[in-house]
Amino acid sequence: GDSWGIFTFLCAALCNLPALPALNCTEELGTSQSIQKTYDLTRYLEHQLRTLAGTYLNYLGPPFNEPDFNPPRLARAERVPSATVDLDLWRGLTDNARLAANYRAYSRLLCYLRALDGQAGTAELRHRLGHFCSSLQGLVLSIAGVMSSLGYPLPAGPPAGPPGTSVAPNDFLKKMDDFWLLKELQTWLWRSAKDFNRLKKKVPPAVVTLRLEARGF
Amino acid sequence: DSHIQYERVGADVTMKCGSMDWDAAVTWTANGTDIDESHLNGSYLILKNVDLTQSGQYSCYEGSSWHLKYQTYLRVGIPPKEPVLMCRSNNYPKGFYCSWHLPTPTYIPNSFNISVIHGTKEMVCEKDAFPKNRCHIRYVHLFSTVKYKVTLTVTNALGKNSTSLTFDEFAIVKPDPPESVVAKPVPNNPRRLEVSWQNPSSWPDPESFPLKFFLRYRPLILDQWQHVELSDGTSHTITDAYAGKEYIIQVAAKDNDIGTWSDWSVAVHATPWTEEPKHLTTEAQITETTSTSTSSFMPPPTTKICDKGAVVGSGAVAVCWTAGLVLAAYGVLFI
Repeated sequence: GDSWGIFTFLCAALCNLPALPALNCTEELGTSQSIQKTYDLTRYLEHQLRTLAGTYLNYLGPPFNEPDFNPPRLARAERVPSATVDLDLWRGLTDNARLAANYRAYSRLLCYLRALDGQAGTAELRHRLGHFCSSLQGLVLSIAGVMSSLGYPLPAGPPAGPPGTSVAPNDFLKKMDDFWLLKELQTWLWRSAKDFNRLKKKVPPAVVTLRLEARGF
Repeated sequence: DSHIQYERVGADVTMKCGSMDWDAAVTWTANGTDIDESHLNGSYLILKNVDLTQSGQYSCYEGSSWHLKYQTYLRVGIPPKEPVLMCRSNNYPKGFYCSWHLPTPTYIPNSFNISVIHGTKEMVCEKDAFPKNRCHIRYVHLFSTVKYKVTLTVTNALGKNSTSLTFDEFAIVKPDPPESVVAKPVPNNPRRLEVSWQNPSSWPDPESFPLKFFLRYRPLILDQWQHVELSDGTSHTITDAYAGKEYIIQVAAKDNDIGTWSDWSVAVHATPWTEEPKHLTTEAQITETTSTSTSSFMPPPTTKICDKGAVVGSGAVAVCWTAGLVLAAYGVLFI
């Protein structure tokens, strides 16, 4: 009973921390390299998630771990940010909008994943979740780094969550929430690979020529 | 009046001569040939355990007047077995297509009905004019978490059957093989082959959805393939080919991040460059006319190695420089 309230509070607190820009590392990275690193991170996370999701869904048990499991989307699951987007809209996104969508999505997904971490059953699962959350935090920071290097403002921190929707009324619905969370996370990682591919091609030319000069050819 | 009658292989068929009484005198024909009376039960025609060869036109004539009383076209066939359905996106992110076929023929006409459900929404799969058993769908939304369920139902006069496929948007992405694969020898490089290709023309947006490639090659005389994976670019130089051996080369493509590899491209053959024998006699003539010393050292022919077109990679540059230096040294010695 009380633990849910604590988790919601912690979530709100964690999610409202200002994200540190990635520029506190000693190496000064060109924007195109930052984008490449962010892209690589999404691929790494997608790979990690496959193992994590498999383990977690097995922990949830059937039917969640069945490959054909294809439940209808319940209204309450809409609070998890969806990667699904109209094709033409996605194509037409400005760089700023594209990056902001990724930043907002992963910030919130991270938040929900951390809540998951708190009550996961086995020690192995908690360890895996913890590791994944750290990597996901790295992705959020990496995106923030790209945005600030391109001069875009960071979106405001995610809201604490609309009141009354955070607690699932029963065990099965809670598991459904977990299932959809992992599904959305996986889809976001696939989408981000494409988002960052597009961004890679659109890095401002000035940055690219600077990099060539630095190589002394 | 005539109509069509469908019956299963192995069934027993009884044909009545229209409205004629059972005891009326009639003659039956099959494709114009009279049928023996042993197959008749009164005026009914009995065909036991029918097979495919018995398909045809059956006519019944009144005994004496030879009036045509009844005619039917018998088609012997089988009900459909479970159809084979395949869906694939070779034009991501535009959409996907599904194609199907029956594993065994039914010998009678079949109709196909395909339904595509995405979550709660039913989508329309537009039938292609060619090939016939194929339809395509355009994606409205991209990066969907909800699976697609495609159900194909085959129906004919003797029965029906169906099959279903459920998949994620990303799982069915499989490009067509790369096109225009070309392999050429590299002049003056007996161990190299230059391979180039193009993105499949069906892939609509290689800029935002880049492809990566897999090249495989082997000399015809060996069974073992060598593989190279390339994350970008549409060309590659093989540098470890066996001199003088004909090679077979193929390329496959895959979206950088999702889906599966395409089928292998059409195979191309190429043999690395080999030095032609007649060049040796030409070299001997050149050295005889230019060399005045009795030195046993034969300077390498500069025209061959340091040719502009032959400079490929830093290795060849080093040879060029070394040859030049050696010649310069000898030149100085003989002045």
